[in-house]
Amino acid sequence: MISKRSSFKIFLAVQHALFLRELSMRFSSGRMGMFWTFFEPFFQIFIFVLIKIALFGSSENSFDFAVFLALNFTAFNMFKNIVIKSTASFKANKALFLYKQVKPIDTIIARTMVEVFITSIIILIFLFLGFYFNFDIHVKDLSMVSLGFLWLIIFAFAFALVVAVVNAFIDSIGKLLGFLMTGLMFSSAVFYSMNRLPIEVQNWLMYNPVANFMEMIHSYYFESLDDKLVSYNYIFLWTIISLYIGLWLYIKLEKRIISI
Amino acid sequence: MIKLDRVTKYFRTKTGKKYILKDVSMVLPSDKNIGILGRNGTGKSTIMRMLGQIEFPNRGKITSDKSFSWPLGLSGGFVGNMTGRANVKFVCRLYGKSKKEIDEIINYVKDFSELNDYFDMPIKTYSSGMKSRLSFGLSLSFDFDYLLIDETLSVGDANFRKKSKMALMKKIENCHILLVSHDMGTLRDICDVGIVVNNGKIHYFDDINRAIDEYASINK
Repeated sequence: MISKRSSFKIFLAVQHALFLRELSMRFSSGRMGMFWTFFEPFFQIFIFVLIKIALFGSSENSFDFAVFLALNFTAFNMFKNIVIKSTASFKANKALFLYKQVKPIDTIIARTMVEVFITSIIILIFLFLGFYFNFDIHVKDLSMVSLGFLWLIIFAFAFALVVAVVNAFIDSIGKLLGFLMTGLMFSSAVFYSMNRLPIEVQNWLMYNPVANFMEMIHSYYFESLDDKLVSYNYIFLWTIISLYIGLWLYIKLEKRIISI
Repeated sequence: MIKLDRVTKYFRTKTGKKYILKDVSMVLPSDKNIGILGRNGTGKSTIMRMLGQIEFPNRGKITSDKSFSWPLGLSGGFVGNMTGRANVKFVCRLYGKSKKEIDEIINYVKDFSELNDYFDMPIKTYSSGMKSRLSFGLSLSFDFDYLLIDETLSVGDANFRKKSKMALMKKIENCHILLVSHDMGTLRDICDVGIVVNNGKIHYFDDINRAIDEYASINK
């Protein structure tokens, strides 16, 4: 007789199993998969430092541009990967819905956790390199930077849930996502700080919630930047509304997703 | 006890709704091994999936206080690029098994499925027979009230078929079975009662032989 487990215990068991499975799949798909996961941010930083030096000559910034890029790309890549990996997760994990304790949303939670885990490792690598090569990695307000990351994780999850549910029924959404992410990278203050741009451009770009997150995170990291452009109410609304729409759609459609 | 309360299940097709069950209410006894009969496409597997709670009726409710295994079918429910061992571990973790229990189950499944070296190779290199051997061995290591089995007994070579039938006979001393099969011999040997699915209706027979006779008359 299988003893009855509480639903929270079942949830934890499922998350444990899915997390380890996702992780081993990620790193078993050839050595190159693992290499790119960790090398991609370095490559991005390298390219953008080169571009900046070519365009503006070497730095007149009040902060270290390489550290600025490392911080922003880490946060942005985390957001991007949570959304992109989660979008495909219903179809990729279809075979697992054979086990009734695996709900589709579990696979998104697990993929989000895996991305958070990988991001943590990348942050550790950056910190190590920062200390070793004597970069100025001093943080203005660590708790606010952490809050920014945490909030971004929740927003990414909520946004990913909406996209994943829609993508389960309308195929082409997943393909558009690649374009969307490229657009977001250029408009989200990832490799520049908003206060460097003309006011009119700022006003437009700050409608982008991801830009608000990026501004929040780097303004609490560097002494010389401030968060006066960030609207916390605005990103709070984005988070709550995405979460609400995502969960509402998911609850409505869960049974149909299980048997796609 | 499995209770079906005004259950309706249909699939939408281009020519309209295709009913599997139409407003069916019935109670199935809990201390019997149940055979499910019906022609191809009548919805035997769908009914089994509904009992396993991975498919849901359009209207009505299916309730039971018993635990059901996942439906053991040809599809397997395994992840192609993970090894047999990793898949077994994964399922054990889903059911919250401890490290020690997992090791025991792995040894048992490896031994039972006779996969030898293949046990540590990705599932995508398996034949469908090998997959169902793994799946069947794995399901025997858990204690469910009901095993849901969909045709899997008819795969594998004669030797393995004999072995799995024996293992199953031993297993059903402690649990019960819901079996979808077209093999009348197997149904007669294992099941006590039968249900025949036909045209959106279910007929229950408290003797498997009468269910088999009914099925034969449908097929005429």
